[in-house]
Amino acid sequence: MTWGVLVLWIISALVIVPERRTYRLIIYFCIFSLITSAAYFLLGSPDVAMAEAAIGVFSTIFFIIYAEKYYGLRENIERDRVRKRFSAKGLIKPFMALLLCAGAFALAVNFIPQAGMDDYLKREYLTRFMTDVGGENAVTAIYLGYRVYDTLFEALILVIAVVAVTHLSYFEQNQASGTSPNEMTTSKIAVLSVRIISPILLAFGVYLILNGHITAGGGFQGGLVLAAFFICRYMVYRIDDIPIGSVIRMEEYFYIGITVITIIVVFLGVAAYVPAALVLFYQNAYLISMNILIGLKVAGGFFALFYRFVSVERR
Amino acid sequence: MELFSLALFFISLFGLITSKNMVKTVIFLMFMQTSVIMFWLKMGIESTAAPAPPIISDPNMLKDIADIADPLPQALTLTAIIIGFSVTAIIVIMLNHLFRQYGTTEWQEIEEMENKKSC
Amino acid sequence: MLTFMVIIPVLLAVLLFAFSSNRIAKAAAVFIQAALFVVSVYLVLITRGAEVTTVVGSYDGILGIILRANSLSAVFVLITAFIFLAVSVYSFTYRERKDARTFWFLMFLLEASFIGLFLSGDLFNVFVLLEVSTLVLVILAMYDRKNRSIFHGKVYLLANVVAIQFYLLGLGYLYRITGALDMERVGESLGAMDGQNLILPYALIMTGIAFKSTLIPFLSWTPKVRLYENAPTVVAAVMSGLQAKAALYLFMRFQEMFAPVAAQQFFLIIGIIAGLFGAVMAICQTNIKMILAYHTISQIGLITVGISHGGEHAYIGGLYHAVGHAVFKTALFLCAGIISHSYGTADVHAIRGVMKRMPAVGIAALAAVLGITGAPLFIGSVSKYFIFYYVDSFTKVIVILLGLGTIISFVKFSSVFFGRSDLAGDAFKADKCKMIPVVLMGALCFAGGVFGTRFIYFLFRFPAAVDFWAYVQDAGIVIASMAGGYFIYKYLISGRAILNRIEKINFSFKQICASIGIFLAIMLVMIGYF
Repeated sequence: MTWGVLVLWIISALVIVPERRTYRLIIYFCIFSLITSAAYFLLGSPDVAMAEAAIGVFSTIFFIIYAEKYYGLRENIERDRVRKRFSAKGLIKPFMALLLCAGAFALAVNFIPQAGMDDYLKREYLTRFMTDVGGENAVTAIYLGYRVYDTLFEALILVIAVVAVTHLSYFEQNQASGTSPNEMTTSKIAVLSVRIISPILLAFGVYLILNGHITAGGGFQGGLVLAAFFICRYMVYRIDDIPIGSVIRMEEYFYIGITVITIIVVFLGVAAYVPAALVLFYQNAYLISMNILIGLKVAGGFFALFYRFVSVERR
Repeated sequence: MELFSLALFFISLFGLITSKNMVKTVIFLMFMQTSVIMFWLKMGIESTAAPAPPIISDPNMLKDIADIADPLPQALTLTAIIIGFSVTAIIVIMLNHLFRQYGTTEWQEIEEMENKKSC
Repeated sequence: MLTFMVIIPVLLAVLLFAFSSNRIAKAAAVFIQAALFVVSVYLVLITRGAEVTTVVGSYDGILGIILRANSLSAVFVLITAFIFLAVSVYSFTYRERKDARTFWFLMFLLEASFIGLFLSGDLFNVFVLLEVSTLVLVILAMYDRKNRSIFHGKVYLLANVVAIQFYLLGLGYLYRITGALDMERVGESLGAMDGQNLILPYALIMTGIAFKSTLIPFLSWTPKVRLYENAPTVVAAVMSGLQAKAALYLFMRFQEMFAPVAAQQFFLIIGIIAGLFGAVMAICQTNIKMILAYHTISQIGLITVGISHGGEHAYIGGLYHAVGHAVFKTALFLCAGIISHSYGTADVHAIRGVMKRMPAVGIAALAAVLGITGAPLFIGSVSKYFIFYYVDSFTKVIVILLGLGTIISFVKFSSVFFGRSDLAGDAFKADKCKMIPVVLMGALCFAGGVFGTRFIYFLFRFPAAVDFWAYVQDAGIVIASMAGGYFIYKYLISGRAILNRIEKINFSFKQICASIGIFLAIMLVMIGYF
């Protein structure tokens, strides 16, 4: 089964290589992302599968917005090129590239290490995470416990991305010349489906965040779903006066909260002074509060990113 | 098994070398990230059966550790996915900027205009 | 303690960004930098005896992330803190921007990520920090949102993301065969392993790292160098002075870790190529910032030659040159910033008479130039002495050639100091905050030469001795090549049309990707079959 999915995976990637039509490109990308997510799930990593699915959806939305704006959905990417006649000369460069990549691939396959897998860390993590960090999900235990130092930087990158997107968007620089937003009609089907879907999204997001330490899911995945909920509402009800500045600011406050909690709980090693009766409560409280903060931060960050893109595009 | 990810890695390298449009470049970049992530997740899974997720609700599960997926790569790839997406978002906003400036996202056209300006 | 050295700047950065105003942000920047500098001096002092290790979160063994500070990384942390302190003093009055808050937020994060890179002992953490530093650097370089800088920033960011994927893939193989991510443990298990297994991970990881340290011939240079052109002065200084050093530091760490398969000879050749061609490109530029930028590549080549050649003295020479380079290149970039700001142009042919117009800047820049060319009594002479005297005769010739290339490019650069300025009328207003770091660094270039061996002993605990007559001989060579370089530039190179043609060479993103692939293939063949 896994093999079949992986073969499909490669095929869906190969299809994109010669593709030039924008809308097909986006659809193939969607399919690729979906297959990837399924493959992750089959490989025993539901957490990553969830994150990949959500990220795939977000990237697709971005690409669709762009493609629609720039080219119209039905046009080729290479639009003003006159279709060239087939010539051997034009094939030389791609052929050289193909040769290079095939050669590098062959070399890499030739030198694949033959040594066996060393599973020392896996064994240690799986047997010890329940007492060291708590919870039942080993993945959450690693990224909120053993490797929380990485997680801080990862969360920081999202903050940086939001700051950068705010700083670099063209819209702000050329605000004076911008035209008024054009009205987009919202179909009734969309409104109805969003009305049905959005409460489910909200409940699902909250569930993922609160149960991140026991089942698959966690702050990031739940945060992404929450962001999707807000984006759905925004798309349908078209609220134009969202105070996006304060959303961004909230995200920074949440980041500060995450850092402070981490410093107190993990870096200063307060766990050693907690009485034995309270350890379980203490661990769960730490995991849940971190998941909530990360979830809110991710939701805020992604909504700000999305809003920025849309507000750039709509004008 | 890791042949698949290596294959996708080099396919996307080929795509990066040959693609004429920035949108496609960004897509291939995401492919490259995906292939590396898939490689990390597949590591250490030697049996053909699907492994169980590393969620231990009952200590008896730990008797056969070979059947459980390795949790460390999963935690690392979660980090890598979020980082990859943030970087992609910044790349896309630059793409937008360039499109506004030059009216195209073709590599060759933009490079020609750039060179004309610097001369 | 090490954790807090990285996390506290990040936390302060976000706090300042969220709560303070622009003016407070600026003042706090200088204050916090000074505090960090003091802490890093303390770190150097305590690591002199033994390595300092912190396990993040005090989990046992290698389950958590381990941060390590040995004497080498402490030195690099010290340089980082020093340069950021200098830079923040420099721009204290200068930045009349509305959004100084954002600027300093990003600068702090950059500093934290560099310190984190130097202290990190975990391979995946290195990946995360490399991503943070690249991202922040690109945003800072595009800070003024000029369209050209956005195009080059995009190319740079894309190319870096591609290169980092090679690193991550190689890391995957490494984790598979060693089952660990901690550098020390990985190094131990690699030592006991069959070399055939290490070829692919080594080649993949080194491709990523070599791209980061601009060692991939020809193509990894352009995107980076183009980015300098429109970057704010301060950012260009940090990029040249520190970012290159961070990548080189990782390069050294990985060469050490992969000792069984490390391709020293291969990187010696790569270093020579980078050194020579960087110098040639530097000679052909007309923008003073671009001369300095290409020159950085040439110097990285020289440092790589020193550290890849083998032999303790050459290694220490390379390291000391890296330290010195951070000082004089930062000084030169800051001077170039003052000069081009004052003259309103960055064209080397249009600027004249800096010495007369702003003597303090002129003297500081001249000291840095003398330091970089390895003139006797200046900082470069000591490091070049160690590289020169402890390498084989073929490499000796190369080092002389590299020195000659440096001198020729700086003969071109030095023409801005002399002559008569067209702007003699309006007097130059000296800005104290800008002058202090520049002059201080110029003085340091001199002190680092005169007290060279003491500095080396303080920084690396290496009792190096300089033989007086050999040093005089070395000085003779340098002075001879200075004279030679002057005449070569004056009569052979200056004014040729080919200079203009070479200056315009530029590579597209596709070619950069192809070069990364070619580099990987060549490395695999070289290590696997030879």
